[in-house]
Amino acid sequence: MSGDAGNPHTPHELWVKFAATRDPSLRDQLVTENLGLARRLAHRFAHRGQSYDDLAQVASMALIKAVDRYDPERNVKFSTFATGTIIGELKRHFRDRGWSVRAPRRIQELYLELGTTIESLGHGLGRSPKVSELAKATGASEEAIVEAIEAGQGYRSASLDAPGVAGATLGDSLAAEDVAVTLIDERSVLEPALASLPDRNRVIMKLRFIDGLTQSEIASQVGISQMHVSRLLATSLAQLRQAFTADL
Amino acid sequence: MSDVVELTFPVRSDLLVLARLTAAALASRADFGIEDIEDLRLVVEELCLSVVGNETNGTIHLQYTREDGLITVGCSLSREGGSDGRADGEANDMSLRIIEALVDEYGENMVADRRQAWIRKRRSKVAS
Repeated sequence: MSGDAGNPHTPHELWVKFAATRDPSLRDQLVTENLGLARRLAHRFAHRGQSYDDLAQVASMALIKAVDRYDPERNVKFSTFATGTIIGELKRHFRDRGWSVRAPRRIQELYLELGTTIESLGHGLGRSPKVSELAKATGASEEAIVEAIEAGQGYRSASLDAPGVAGATLGDSLAAEDVAVTLIDERSVLEPALASLPDRNRVIMKLRFIDGLTQSEIASQVGISQMHVSRLLATSLAQLRQAFTADL
Repeated sequence: MSDVVELTFPVRSDLLVLARLTAAALASRADFGIEDIEDLRLVVEELCLSVVGNETNGTIHLQYTREDGLITVGCSLSREGGSDGRADGEANDMSLRIIEALVDEYGENMVADRRQAWIRKRRSKVAS
C-alpha cells in the first residue's frame, strides 16, 4: 500500500498502547504504516544534487524519531507532528550537506558560511538565530542573508523551480510526481509495469524518480531535449498509472 | 502597528521566488528566527500551489501582513473563466499537510469574490 500520510487507519488505541509499552513490534508497525508520509515528503524536497533515496532515508529516520516522540495524549494528529519533524530533519540534512546553488559566487560562499554560522550561533544562543544576528556574525547585509537563503535553499521539487514546461501546470507537475512516488512505493506493481515500457522510457523514469535527477540533467545524460524528456515522462507515467489502476 | 505588503504576479513557476523572498524579508524584519523563516518560505509556496492548482492562466494575489511577532499571508487567484484553481486531490492534500504542520493557523475566506487561503505564523517564543 502507498501508506496515507499519518495513516488514518492507525487506531488511537495503538498509539496509546505503544506509548505505554514501547513494544518494538508495535513500533515497527507504526513506522511501516506511516512510511508513505516520509516518502512523499522526501520527494517533495527532492532536488538537484540530492538523490531521492538519500532524502527518503533521512525522512524515514525522522519518521522513526517522530514515532518515538509522539504523545497521543497531546491534541495533535500524528501526521501533523511527523510532518514537522521530518521537514526539520530534511532541512538540517540540506544545511549540512549543501546542494548545488545557482547564484553568484559571493552568495554561494555566503550560503556555505551560513550553514556553519547558523549551527554555531544556534548552539550558543539556545535558539534559532535571527537574520540580524547572522548578518552581524558574517559581516554581510541582512538583504544578502535573505538572498543567500533563497539561493541556497532551493529544496523545492525541481518541477517547480525549473522553467515551466509548456502546457503543464504547477498542480499537474506536482500531482504527476506524487503519483510517481506512489507507484515507486508499489514496487511489486511497478516492476512488471516498468518492464513493459520502451527501454529509453524506462531509463528516463529511473533517472528521474529513483536517482532524483532533474529533467535537464536527464536531457544532458540521454542526449535529448528537456522538452522531450518531459513528454516521455508524461507518457510513461500515464502508462504506469493505467497499469497501477488495473491492478487494484 | 502593522505593515501590509501586496504582491501580484502571473501564474508562473519561476516567479514563485518573489513570494518566498517577500516572506523571508518580512519575517526577517519581524525578528523571526532562521528556522521560522525557512518554514514560512516553504509554507508560502505551498499556499500558492494549493490556490493555483491546475490553472495555467491568471494572477496570484498575495497579501502579507506583519504585526508584532506575527506574519499573516493571504493568497488568492484571479482568472478569466476556467476552473476554481484548486490543486488535484493528492497534491493539495500534501500541501495542506505541510501547511498544517508548520503554521499556527490557516483557513479560507472570500475576498472580493475570490477564494483566499491564508496562514498565520507567530515568531517562536525561543527566538524572541
